[in-house]
Amino acid sequence: MSDDPVAELLQRIARQDRAAFREVYRLTAPKLVGVLTRILVHRAEVEDALQEVFVRVWQRAGQFRPDRGSGQAWLNTVARNHALDRLRARPEGDLRRAEGDDPLATLADPAAGAEAGLVAMGEARRVLDCLETLDPERARAVRGAYLQGLSYQDLAQRHGLPLNTVRTWLRRGLQQLRECIER
Amino acid sequence: MSDPRDDDLLAAEYVLGVLPLAERRAAAQRAEVDGAFAARIAEWEGRLAPLDAATPEGVAPDLLPAIEARLFPAPRRRRWLWAAGAALAASVALAVMLWPAPPPGARLVAGDLVIEARLNGAVLALARGGPAAGATNDYQLWAIGADGVPRSLGLLRGESLRLEAALEPGITLAVSLEPLGGAPGAVPTGPVLAVAVLE
Repeated sequence: MSDDPVAELLQRIARQDRAAFREVYRLTAPKLVGVLTRILVHRAEVEDALQEVFVRVWQRAGQFRPDRGSGQAWLNTVARNHALDRLRARPEGDLRRAEGDDPLATLADPAAGAEAGLVAMGEARRVLDCLETLDPERARAVRGAYLQGLSYQDLAQRHGLPLNTVRTWLRRGLQQLRECIER
Repeated sequence: MSDPRDDDLLAAEYVLGVLPLAERRAAAQRAEVDGAFAARIAEWEGRLAPLDAATPEGVAPDLLPAIEARLFPAPRRRRWLWAAGAALAASVALAVMLWPAPPPGARLVAGDLVIEARLNGAVLALARGGPAAGATNDYQLWAIGADGVPRSLGLLRGESLRLEAALEPGITLAVSLEPLGGAPGAVPTGPVLAVAVLE
């Protein structure tokens, strides 16, 4: 357990340890800002969301299960879920699109190399290797959804396809991904 | 009957985040009460988590003072809850003299709603009888220590819940009715339905 200090701190937070809470903020807030910015883009909303995320961390630390993943991964999930809830609750014509930038353009795969370099271990590498086996457009859609919060709506617009077609198309990709990861 | 393959893809779509708001909320709600579905979500979270590795760190402002002010407000504002707890403590102390009660527990009662809490070491087991919170609400559990500050223990969805919590006998438990997803801040916002001391 000592190889995951964040996990240990989360278990202390579950026991209402305020010092552990401050320490987790110090250790993980920069990464969570990265995760939130990826999806929400706007600085003010990111800071707002960061507060909400840490309120949830205090309230839900008891739900963290160290056997299911690292402490940082749990925090990333809490942050991603909150960011997605905010993004989906935005009214039509969402802020990011209003700025006129194409969310996929910034994703032109600087990621592929960086990810491969960062993650060296077999288990963790698998999803990255398996994404490579998908049709490149599908892999891009999976990355765009996971990393930037693109919805089926966004993907349908992007590809000029009906919503249901895009859904069937992406679900096929997810099925392939699962089969590959579990192989 | 839902097709397990469809369930698994729905879990994947939820984790990926592509679902529209209504479907996303429905999936989240289902995960709260359907353990098998929640497990599928956890599996997909594990599968996709490595994608976060390449995300660079950002610059985090020091929001701790604001966050702590929300989570740990001055105790005196919560005096009413503490007073209710203290009054109950007195009556429970009396009850304890009449009944032998080996594992510490508490019974939260509000009309037909009865929540039994039992503390086994570091695990608090809760069982609910009576009405569910309804489609737009959740029951939220709180622990109130000697400082009078309520701390959320989590939401009670479904009929039972086990949570790890370092609680001491003598602490006050409370249940409040909150909007779906729980109180937005660190303190109860809905009506406090019942209060009982863990003894």
